[in-house]
Amino acid sequence: METIWSGYILPCLCSFLACVGFTLVFNIHGVGKLICGVGGALGWLVYLLAGSTIFAAFLASAVIGLFSEIMARLRRCPVTGYLLVALLPLVPGGGIYFAMSYCVAGDIQRFLDTLLHTFGMASALAVGAMLTASLFRAAYPYLRRKTKGRP
Amino acid sequence: MDHDRLLNIAVDLGCLLMSSGAEIYRVEESVRRLLQAYGLGSPEVFAIPNCVIVSITTPEGHPITRMRRIGGHGTDIELLERCNALCRRFCADPPSLDEAREQLDALPLQTPKHPLWQVLLGYGAAPALFSPLFGGGISDAICALAGGLVVGAFLLYGRRLIGSNGFFRTAVCSAVASLLSLLLVRLGFGQSVDTVTISVLMVLVPGVALTNAMREIMAGDIISGLCRAAESILTASAIAIGSAVGLAIGGIF
Repeated sequence: METIWSGYILPCLCSFLACVGFTLVFNIHGVGKLICGVGGALGWLVYLLAGSTIFAAFLASAVIGLFSEIMARLRRCPVTGYLLVALLPLVPGGGIYFAMSYCVAGDIQRFLDTLLHTFGMASALAVGAMLTASLFRAAYPYLRRKTKGRP
Repeated sequence: MDHDRLLNIAVDLGCLLMSSGAEIYRVEESVRRLLQAYGLGSPEVFAIPNCVIVSITTPEGHPITRMRRIGGHGTDIELLERCNALCRRFCADPPSLDEAREQLDALPLQTPKHPLWQVLLGYGAAPALFSPLFGGGISDAICALAGGLVVGAFLLYGRRLIGSNGFFRTAVCSAVASLLSLLLVRLGFGQSVDTVTISVLMVLVPGVALTNAMREIMAGDIISGLCRAAESILTASAIAIGSAVGLAIGGIF
């Protein structure tokens, strides 16, 4: 119980609130705030559950992409806002910083390691959200026809 | 119909969309649909992140082109959503040009904005809440809050002081962030310099540029996608350079 609380619930809560904080910066109002927060929490939960690797970042960003596409369709709004706020906690800011500090310290091996890992994280984020958004867009007309055809 | 005025309205709508942070395909599509709703056959629209070019041919066969440059801008999702809704309304039921002009001009003024202190609060709260995600404790969170508030104040009020060059602004802010974190930890308020610095740097991280780059490439706008990807790499290097300078200055003392 203790590990579930400190290992999963608390980080997700923090991610939720941090994303809500960012909605103030990007001028998002009303329900959009909540959607961004839930997106951020969901993404971080998937990232933790999948083991905090590059592949986990890929899965998390795929889930965020799907979630924001669905929410944007429901609210008939551009998807950009929800996507960019929810992805923010996963952007490898730490990677940039550590790569820099190893570079300054002259530790080339660890510098290259961290740099490549950072690039990997960034591309995993981009590809993950890109993939689900494209899939969703391709599947959306069929889904819509199906729900409309139902009596 | 007065095609000059129609063209002006269409270009202004495109600029408004772009400066609120819309994707390229949305700008191009919205302007094209608007012009088509007013009965023009094949309007040509071309947009890259800081320029919109619209060209139409009047029914008499006279071509008109207008280009507008867009300066540096932030992201304003509320304005983007309203602009999108307005464009949809125009396309569904085109109003007279006077009315369209009036509604378009009123849009930025009507859009609610968070007061500055709330934006500053957002800049402070986000790093404070990020620090537990990077393994920080309560004291680190408080340090990150202070750092975030200072960096936010620099971003909001320091435009005259550090100019509007994005690269330089990011570098200065990250230098301030790393220096401040170092200072706070040395004074005994925080536990770990790395955690506090990373949390504060999350405010500057090029998440927006990265997301936009990916969306442009997905939509097939390779030029704009590459522009934004380059922007995100440049921002990341600015963060690295800035925090290196901050740590170096901190290392002297």
